[in-house]
Amino acid sequence: MSSKSIATVLDFEQIKGIIPQRFPFLMIDRVIEAVAGERVVAIKNLTGNEWFYQGHFPKRAVTPGAMIGEAVAQTGIVFFSLTQPKLRDVTFLLGAIKMRFRRPAWPGDQLRIEVTPIRLTATAAMLNGVVSVGDQEIARGEFALAAKPNSEL
Amino acid sequence: MAERKIDQDVMALIADILEMEPGKIDPNAHLVEDLGMDSMMALEILAGIEKRFKIKVPEQDLPMITSVNRAIELTKKYVK
Repeated sequence: MSSKSIATVLDFEQIKGIIPQRFPFLMIDRVIEAVAGERVVAIKNLTGNEWFYQGHFPKRAVTPGAMIGEAVAQTGIVFFSLTQPKLRDVTFLLGAIKMRFRRPAWPGDQLRIEVTPIRLTATAAMLNGVVSVGDQEIARGEFALAAKPNSEL
Repeated sequence: MAERKIDQDVMALIADILEMEPGKIDPNAHLVEDLGMDSMMALEILAGIEKRFKIKVPEQDLPMITSVNRAIELTKKYVK
């Protein structure tokens, strides 16, 4: 699939305008679908140059589950920010994450990360995340995200 | 749904989120002050109750979840 065939709702620079993470911790490349309050779909292209493959593992590159969870959480921040656009000067904190991993993700895989709401409040969200590569679901889970005012941290 | 079943299920759900044994939780203990619940755990409890009982609890009722017994009361208010 060429990159031109994928619709772009938010490109990499626009994503950086929404989520605070930066290299080496920015785990989404593009948002391809976004409906405030309903759904955000992001993609992450894994290359063999990702920093975490140096140590995970030296003899066989396997994407750490924690980094897949991070990609899901970052997609969740995009979802939450689009749904509650008036939030200012907050830091997003993960309260809980429960994920099941069905198969590893390798260099060359394109992760499709879909986040949908379970329950939303003005400052927190319980969200579902589903990660797939092509037609195959590789991970899914639930997570809780809160937007904490920086003045309370 | 039998009231006792609601009591047991709400207790089990809260105990799971607080990572405690259901038998060791005083149903009248304050979830924040006595048991260390934070705002995200409260949201997890609310979402768990909604999913388990297939109900919708308004956000303004979230502060009512101050103890297991209050959570049970709140659940019974919306379970038909």
